Amino acid sequence: MSTATTNPARFFEFVTAWPKTILALSLLAIAGLASFVPQIHKDTSSDAFISPDDPVVLYRDHVRDVFGLEDPIVVAVINDGPQGVFNPESLRLVDELTQAIAKLPNADPDRITSLATESNIVGTYDGMEVSDFFDPYPDTQSRADEIRAAISDFPLYQGALVARDGNATLIVAELLDQDAAQSTYDEILAIVAEASIPPGNEVHVAGEGAISGYLATYIDRDATRLNPLAAVVITLVLLIAFRTFAGAMLPNVIVLGTLAATFGSMAAFGVSFYVITNGLATILIGIAVADSIHIMSQVYEERARDPSLSSCRSGRREIAIRALTRMWKPVTLTTITTIAGFAGLWFGAAMPPMKFFGMFAAVGVAAAWVYSIFFLPAALTLFPLKASKLFRATNVNDGYGSALQRVGAKVLKWPRLTLGIAAIIAAVGIGGASLVIVQESQIENFQTDEPIYLADKEINRRMDGTYFLDIVVETHEPEALFRPDHLRRIEALQSFVERFPAVRGSTSVVDYIKQMHKAVNENRDEFYSIPDDEFLIAQLFLLYSASGDPDDFEEEIDTDYSQANVRFNLAVADYQLLTEIVPIIQDYVEQEFNNDEIRANLSGRVMVNYTWLKTIGDGHVRSLLLSLVFVWVAAAVVFRSVLAGALSLVPVVMSLLAVYAVMGFSGIWLGVGTSMFAAIAIGLGIDFAIHTLDRMKELIMNRQGDYDERLADLFPSTGRALFFNFAALALGFTVLTTSEVPPLIRFGMLVAVAVSTSFVASMTVLPVIGKLLKPAFLYPQTEVDGANRRASSLASAGSTAALIAVVFIVFASFANAETAAGLPAGDEIVAQLNARNDGQQVTRNLKMELIDRRGKSRVRDTIAYRRYYGEEKRTVLFYVAPGNVKGTGFLTYDYPDPESDDDQWLYLPALRKVRRISASDRGDYFLGTDFTYEDIKKETRIAAEDYVFSTLGTAEVDSHMTYLLEGVPVDRETAKELGYGRVLWHVDPEIWISRKTEMWDVNDNPLKTVTNENIENIQGIWTSLKLTAVNHKTGHSTIFTFAEVDYSAEVDDNMFEQRALRRGR
Amino acid sequence: MLKSIIPAILASSLVVASDGDAKAGDFTENIELSGVAESELAIGTNDGEAQKAEFVLTPEINLALSGSTRITVIGRLRGDIVDELEPGQPAQDNRSEFSKRWFVSDHMELELRETYVDTEIGNTFLRIGKQQVVWGQADGLKVLDVINPQSFREFILDDFEDSRIPLWTVNAEIPIGGAFLQLLWIPDNTYDDIPEAGAVFAFTSPLIVPEIPPGVPVIIAPLDRPGDFVGDSDVGAKLSTFAGGWDLSLNYAYHYFDRPVTRREISPTGITVRQNYERTHLIGGTFSNVFGDFTLRGEAGYSSDRYFPVSDITDEDGVSHSGELAYVLGVDYQGWRDWFVSAQVFQSILTDPDPGLVRDATESTATLLARRDFMNEALQGELLLIHSLSRGDGVLQASVKYEWRSNIRLTAGADIFYGTPLGLFGQFEDKDRISFGIEIGF
Repeated sequence: MSTATTNPARFFEFVTAWPKTILALSLLAIAGLASFVPQIHKDTSSDAFISPDDPVVLYRDHVRDVFGLEDPIVVAVINDGPQGVFNPESLRLVDELTQAIAKLPNADPDRITSLATESNIVGTYDGMEVSDFFDPYPDTQSRADEIRAAISDFPLYQGALVARDGNATLIVAELLDQDAAQSTYDEILAIVAEASIPPGNEVHVAGEGAISGYLATYIDRDATRLNPLAAVVITLVLLIAFRTFAGAMLPNVIVLGTLAATFGSMAAFGVSFYVITNGLATILIGIAVADSIHIMSQVYEERARDPSLSSCRSGRREIAIRALTRMWKPVTLTTITTIAGFAGLWFGAAMPPMKFFGMFAAVGVAAAWVYSIFFLPAALTLFPLKASKLFRATNVNDGYGSALQRVGAKVLKWPRLTLGIAAIIAAVGIGGASLVIVQESQIENFQTDEPIYLADKEINRRMDGTYFLDIVVETHEPEALFRPDHLRRIEALQSFVERFPAVRGSTSVVDYIKQMHKAVNENRDEFYSIPDDEFLIAQLFLLYSASGDPDDFEEEIDTDYSQANVRFNLAVADYQLLTEIVPIIQDYVEQEFNNDEIRANLSGRVMVNYTWLKTIGDGHVRSLLLSLVFVWVAAAVVFRSVLAGALSLVPVVMSLLAVYAVMGFSGIWLGVGTSMFAAIAIGLGIDFAIHTLDRMKELIMNRQGDYDERLADLFPSTGRALFFNFAALALGFTVLTTSEVPPLIRFGMLVAVAVSTSFVASMTVLPVIGKLLKPAFLYPQTEVDGANRRASSLASAGSTAALIAVVFIVFASFANAETAAGLPAGDEIVAQLNARNDGQQVTRNLKMELIDRRGKSRVRDTIAYRRYYGEEKRTVLFYVAPGNVKGTGFLTYDYPDPESDDDQWLYLPALRKVRRISASDRGDYFLGTDFTYEDIKKETRIAAEDYVFSTLGTAEVDSHMTYLLEGVPVDRETAKELGYGRVLWHVDPEIWISRKTEMWDVNDNPLKTVTNENIENIQGIWTSLKLTAVNHKTGHSTIFTFAEVDYSAEVDDNMFEQRALRRGR
Repeated sequence: MLKSIIPAILASSLVVASDGDAKAGDFTENIELSGVAESELAIGTNDGEAQKAEFVLTPEINLALSGSTRITVIGRLRGDIVDELEPGQPAQDNRSEFSKRWFVSDHMELELRETYVDTEIGNTFLRIGKQQVVWGQADGLKVLDVINPQSFREFILDDFEDSRIPLWTVNAEIPIGGAFLQLLWIPDNTYDDIPEAGAVFAFTSPLIVPEIPPGVPVIIAPLDRPGDFVGDSDVGAKLSTFAGGWDLSLNYAYHYFDRPVTRREISPTGITVRQNYERTHLIGGTFSNVFGDFTLRGEAGYSSDRYFPVSDITDEDGVSHSGELAYVLGVDYQGWRDWFVSAQVFQSILTDPDPGLVRDATESTATLLARRDFMNEALQGELLLIHSLSRGDGVLQASVKYEWRSNIRLTAGADIFYGTPLGLFGQFEDKDRISFGIEIGF
């Protein structure tokens, strides 16, 4: 036995002196920590992704209390026959299913809505009568036809309860306990399976409740199946690597210890096991195994070098000490850097499950280190150690080792080619990264042939939608919601939100009031309106209660008529859609319901999901940058070189780019699951770099000869160990790709790609950089010449600067997040500005004054009409004076798709002809004014797709605080089209109008200044009555003065026909 | 319950009604007078003589009777110091009694240009009265624009707006699905004003004027104009729609061609020249659409019964009958800021050409228009070339318009004819002119 001369050797002598004690302590620790595991609370709900004390969640719970709204499970009966669902068999099926579902323990029997439970409101000679649709029971076709007629007279139910084409109807079941949604979903499926479904009918089960309940268990079930499989695959890799029992089993003990420590401590600290925690198990298995692969490789190398040692305990102890003295450093270094990587996720992520993921991954990595450093040498000393046939005296000489050796030789022979290829791959990665979109949609997490996926698509295709956005309107006085002005506000809210194509319908107490109003007026359609009289509205409710159940309105209005819920149906509810519409709706609500009398708030599942989903993108970037910084700092400290820190990031960054490229090119979204991959890829990938750099340093310091000769051993020994490390991880994660659950498949694939890239880059790019750059930290002091030193210090300075830049960006992003409350992002301002209500229609007189640089002015009087048809905007302008331009007319159809050109017609009285004119040049000046066609078309809005926005700060305009919003066209092409190289808006957040707008031309010369003055609130809409444009290049200016602005007067459809141009108004 | 609803509804409807009454009350506010006063001087460059020195006043009165019913009256007072375009007082035998001009003197005339009432019955728009109806997509060339006759007192140099002769017409536009059907009934037997011999722009081209062998006595019979109010009225129908980005129309008219057919009758005593109007069916269509910066437009029409002079001196009446297919294809380009460039090709093809025709069986004309705006559209320059591909003659028109004040426009222009005197344009080869004008709107 040798006498230890170094501190590490003395430490491992100590550890191996008490092998049994350490073994016993290790097993005790595993058992002790594992004993906590059964207590772990599984929380697979999607509410877990948002902090339980987030105001949105608190408010949603409050709304649930008031209106009793839960995420429902939706059962659809579909019949594509000529009668649709209005035939006795289909209706009987609806009744049967409704009754069966009502009996389920978790279904709220009072909260099941279907044709079989709902009531019809019809007028009678003395008021109205409320009767069940199914009374009398629809056992004949003529009864079924009557129900169809009743529904067609009841707009509220169309699209919500019965498809507008009559071919589908829903049974909506609300659950008592949302956490049991999964089992209720299964029970409902069983009911459907047992029901006798008449030919021609189909039954589908979906709904938000079903989806969020089922999704979690869907993922969880598959992960629980696949994680053990991953462990088996990794064990197989170990067997192939060492072909010994100990080589395969000892790492598995470390895996057990790691998992026990991680999940045991989670349980002990009361942290729940979330859906994404499943990924943590796979990652920790890989990491735990990685440490042992490196140590065991060294062990077998040492044993092969001195076979006589293994026969006795003291010899085995010597082997263990030698191996660990050699390996403790890289293993410790990788542990530190991996912990640093996961710390990035811990501090950077916003969603609680992700924070805990980062935190406990770090705990697991530390545990794996402890077991590797203590348990492994103890076990090696204690148990007999067979030789691995794969390790021979001098070096490993199997196929893996020699293959890697050949690759290494090639790479070092053509260093520049290697770097060139790496640079190309990196460039492709950057290209791919630009294609990655942030998107998440729960339903898309299911296989497309899952019944729930098919059901969701089918139901949402036919109905108004099964995703709900609730807007709760609150007043402070009982019965305040009988007031017609409040009800009109709700009605306007409904029509505003329904303008979004994704919002297919809505339900509110207003719809019921209108239906009742119509009913008491002999069912005449013109009375489908809000009565003007508060008392009449109160009486309608009274009248309803005479024959109907007053609880029927429980979901729409509270018992003292002071709070109402407006429920909007969406057919899809993905992240991209929500980030587009929710801020606009929020702004509208803020503007329209923001006084002492009435307030409104957004709520519902859609709102809760939106709140946590919107953190995905920012959280991803923040945790990514933090991980990079932490890892860099950790690597720089352990190698005592900033440059080494930077070099160790090279394989990691390449693996990130590879993953982004895969995501970008294959259209994988950056969603909940995929947003964590970056921190994971860093945590796992950094190991390869650290091992490689550490070994490179060791070889260069201790060996003789030129660079290539010194590095020759890197590939067959460290390279081989890294190869099996990589194989274990990559295959382990590849197992996940056999899952049936799309998110697990994507997660497994992306991490496998990341690990593979890290490995390859570590084995190729790092040695090559070392050869070309000759960094000082790799060489003994004596060998470092002036040139080397200069190059190294330059590279160090460069990477330090880069580090500081990244740190700055990270802090800036944090700072941004903090100041966001005061200074909103550019896109947000634009969204608000574009969401500003500018009226469904408007009639106004427009005086155009054109003033040349000498002050000579020309005036035209016009009448302008504008009206929205869905998203399409039609505008017509008639010249009325002076006489020589009178009769000139200009008609535009402005289509919502930015790709399709507007259609424009000009009527010139001198020709008496309507001329079709080209509208492709948005930057052309409109009829001789200083406004371009684009300026005129957008009015106070901004084409969000044309610019990249940033908020520069605030400024005062006419003593109003405004946000300085800068827009730079997305590309030169767009800039030329618009005629603007840059635009600076002064947006007043009180009214969301730019009070002053400055434009620069494509060469950045000042071009125009447009000011909005005389801004007045007309019929509830902020309107600028004076618009001035000054062209700084020509000295010409234009003043538009608006008068007699009327948003309420109906603008006739035929105003926007070509014949109206000929007629002149 | 209901008892309480009804008064509420009644009360609210009363409020609405009284609102409406208040608006209808201000009758005088609904009369609107506007108009244009113009003065133009045109000087022939070959002889230095003035072709015209005129003052034109075009007042317009609009009276809104209700939201949908309006009356429009447009008159014209025209004075010309030189009186060379229509020397003396024209016979006006081409015009119906209801559409004649009133000559105050040789130098001054009054005309009721347009008088119509616009109203709506349901979705049908009606315009009844003296009016202009313009069909077609072509500029300056006529294929389908046959509803109103034209005054050729300045050949084609005057604006169509001024030279087109409004007719008493019943005009109904009925929406049908996504399309509009226009139905026209025109009982007004008024036809083109053709300048008499001696006028500056009197026709001499054999394409229009029959050739008479020199030395033969000629008797000119009175113009035979259709006179039956109902039986001789013109009718037309147009179905138009906007679909898939295309503006499309189908047109049909059964009408008298507006230029008389001149037949000769050879008798031992000499030659009698008789002019009458001939009816024809016209069926055709138009299209236009935008492709990027280009607007493509076109129209085509087939007339069943057209009559053309023959050069054969022995021909019985000097006229040959044929069907005529005519079309115009045009392209407008607006890709350059402030520019408008447009090119058109026109062809007239006779379906049954007599070998002895004066004109070719196929006649082709091309036009090129270039217009540019300057100074925020205050100044506009325009060049228009109309060139006969068949005969090599044509006219080049250059003009400049300057909007000096909101309502005051100054104009200057030059019209240059070139080519063979036998051609439609070449016949005025010695009538080149420059002109200056001022236009005041009020």
